[in-house]
Amino acid sequence: MGGLVVALLRCTDLRAEVDPLSGAITREPRTAALSASDAAALEHALRIGSAWGARVLAISLGGPEVEGPLREALALGAEVLRVATHQSYLEELVADEQALARALVTALAGELPDLVLCADRSADRGTGALPAFVAHELGVAQAPGLVSLELASLDGGETELLAERRLDYGRRERMRVPLPAVCSVEGAGVRLRRASLPASLAASGATIPVVDAALVPSAVRVVQARPARPRPRHLPAPTGTSRERLLALTGALLSHEPPVVVGPVDAPEAADALLEFLVHHGYLSRAPSGWAVT
Amino acid sequence: MTYDVIVVGAGPAGSSAALMAARAGLSVVLLERGPYPGSKNVYGGVVYGRVLDDVLPGWWEEVPVQRWVTRRSTMVLTGTQALTVDFRSGAWGQAPYNGCTTLRSDFDGWLAGKAVEAGAQLVTSTVATGLIREAGRVVGVRTDRPDGDLRATVVIAADGVNSLLAKELGLLPKTDPKHLTLGVKEVLSLPKDVIDERFGVRGEEGVDVEILGCTRGIAGGGFVYTNRDTLSVGVVVSVDGLAKSEVRPEQLVADLKAHPAIAPWVQGAEVKEYSAHLIPEGGYDHLPQLHAPGFLLTGDAAGLCLAAGIWLEGVNFAIGSGLAAGRAAAAHVLGGAELSSYRKDLESSFVLQDHKRLRKAPALVLSDRVQQRYPQLIADLVEGLFTVTNPTAKPGAISLLRGAAKRNGVKLRHLAADGLAGGRTFR
Repeated sequence: MGGLVVALLRCTDLRAEVDPLSGAITREPRTAALSASDAAALEHALRIGSAWGARVLAISLGGPEVEGPLREALALGAEVLRVATHQSYLEELVADEQALARALVTALAGELPDLVLCADRSADRGTGALPAFVAHELGVAQAPGLVSLELASLDGGETELLAERRLDYGRRERMRVPLPAVCSVEGAGVRLRRASLPASLAASGATIPVVDAALVPSAVRVVQARPARPRPRHLPAPTGTSRERLLALTGALLSHEPPVVVGPVDAPEAADALLEFLVHHGYLSRAPSGWAVT
Repeated sequence: MTYDVIVVGAGPAGSSAALMAARAGLSVVLLERGPYPGSKNVYGGVVYGRVLDDVLPGWWEEVPVQRWVTRRSTMVLTGTQALTVDFRSGAWGQAPYNGCTTLRSDFDGWLAGKAVEAGAQLVTSTVATGLIREAGRVVGVRTDRPDGDLRATVVIAADGVNSLLAKELGLLPKTDPKHLTLGVKEVLSLPKDVIDERFGVRGEEGVDVEILGCTRGIAGGGFVYTNRDTLSVGVVVSVDGLAKSEVRPEQLVADLKAHPAIAPWVQGAEVKEYSAHLIPEGGYDHLPQLHAPGFLLTGDAAGLCLAAGIWLEGVNFAIGSGLAAGRAAAAHVLGGAELSSYRKDLESSFVLQDHKRLRKAPALVLSDRVQQRYPQLIADLVEGLFTVTNPTAKPGAISLLRGAAKRNGVKLRHLAADGLAGGRTFR
C-alpha cells in the first residue's frame, strides 16, 4: 500500500516534581520520555507501517529534551522530526492547541498521512484537544480513545483498519476507521518493542531533523502560576462518644442527596444548573456584581 | 560490532573511564542500565572535585552544584546530648572550592555528557547481562537488547557495588556483609532561606555534618547535608550489625530526625525522596583483583570507597579510579601495555595511597568501643567539664575522664590502646 503513518508523540517528564511546599512544578529535561499511551501509539504506527509497507514518521513538539525519545523511535526504524517550540512553562499553560496542530501539519510539508496515531492522554494532560485539531487541519476523520487497533484483510489483498473503544459499563465499541484518520490510543494492549543494540548505537549519534514551529503567541498571557489550594472549609469539631464522632466525621448512616439527572439541556441551561449546584453546596454565592467564590 | 573499549555503568567511575579512553582517540561505548545516567544512583551528598582539576579545568564553573561546602561539622550524639566540632572556611566558598553538595542525577548526567563530548557513545536503558569470553580473555559483553552482543578489546566494569560482571569472572568474593554498609537517606524539602537561617549560611554556602553515635549502637554513623532547597539526612550502618539488631533502617533515620540536636534543623520539612544503597567499606585489605585479561574493575565495583572515620569519600575515589582505568585501557589498546598497569597507576595515586594508609581505619572506626562506648563517654566527659557544680569545687579533667570511662565500661588501658591505634591509623 505504501504511504505514510505518522506517530504524533508527546515527550514530557513523567516524573515531574511538585514542590510540596510551594506547589511549583519542576520538569527535568533528561527524564522526558514517552508515556504508556505514546509508546502504544508508536508501536501501533510501527506495526501498521510495516503491514502497509509505509514510511513511519515520529514527530514531537518541544525542545531538545524530546530528542531522547525520538532517538528511540529512530532506532526502531521510524523517521523522526522535532518541531521546535520555544515556550516557557507559563506560555504552555495557555498554548493555543489549534496553532500547535497547524504547526504540526505544516511540518508535514503538504504530505497527507494515511494515518496519524497519537496518545489518548499524556502524563501532564497535555494531549488535550490536539488530536482533534490535527484531524481538523488535515480534514480527516478522528477516532479517539481506542484500546485496540488492528488491520483486517479484505478480498483482493486490501486491508481495513478496525478499532475498539471503551464505553461505559464495561462495554466496547468496534469501529471501522475510514482512512485517512487521526487515531488516539490508550496505553493498553501493546508494548513498545525494544530496539536492537546496533540500531540504538547508530541512533545515539544521529542528527535529529528540526523544523521551527513558528507559533503565534497566545492571546492570553499568564502572569503567575500558583499551586492549587482549595479554600479550606471550617467545620466544627464533632462531639459525643467516639462512635458518634466517627460517624459524624465519616458521614456514615446519614442520608445523602441522591444524584440528580439534569437534561438533556442546552449549554446555557447546563451552565445554570451547574451554578445552582455550586450555590446550593456553598461554593458560590450571588454577589451584586455577579458570582463570588465563597 | 567491535569497539576499543566498553564501559559498563555511567556513574562517576564509568563516565570518567569513558572520558579518558575517548580522549585518547579510542572508540568507546558507555552502557547504562537506567534511562539516563544517575537515574538509579544513591549517595550521601558531597563531591570533592579536586580530582577533576587536570581533566576538566574550571569544572566548578559548570558542575551542577547545589551548594559549596563551607562548614564541616563532626557531631557526637547520645540520646539527649550532642557535642559538635564545627569548622568553617571562607576559602572553601571560593574557586577552586573544596567540595560541593550535588544531586547524582545532575552530576552523573553532566559527567557522562563530558564523555559523550569526547566521543564516547552513550547507550541507556541497556543492561549488560554477561561477559563474552574467548581463550580465557574477556572480549565483550552481552546485553538485554535484541542483537545485543558487543565486542571490545577492553571491558571496564563500573557496574556498582554488587558488580555482576566481576562476580561472573570470579574477581569478587562471595558477598560478605561485614565489609558492606547500608546507606539510607531521606531528602527533605525546605525553603532555601529557611535552610540558610537554620544552618547559618548564605548564598551558595553549604554544610556537611557527619555524626557518630546515632545508630542505636549499630556500627555506623549519620549525616546531614544541605542542598539548595533540600536536606539530605541519613545513616550509614553495618549490614551485619543491622541484621543482628533487627532494627529497620528507616527507624534509624527517624531517630536521627527526632534527636533534640537535629530536630530543629528538619522541623516542618517534607520528605521528597527515600533511598538506600550498599556501600563497599572493606578498605585496602579487602580489595578484589582489579584486572583480568581484557577486563578492568573500577569504582564501587572494585570496592574503592573510602570510609575512614572523619573521611567519608566515594565519588572522588570513583572518578580517580575511573580515570586510571581509562588511561590503562588506552595504553593497552594503543601501545600494548599490560592491563596490570592499572593497579600500578592506582598505587601511585591518592586512590590506593589513601586506602593503604588508612587500611586499619574501617576496623577501628567500626569497632564496638568506638561505636557503642565512646560517644557516651565523650558526651559525659564534656558535660562534666561544663556543668558548674558550685558550691562544690570543679572536678579535675582526669577525674572526670576516669568517672566517664568507668560509667561506660571502658578501661583506661583500652582508651590508651585505641588512642595509640588511632594515632597510628591517621598519622
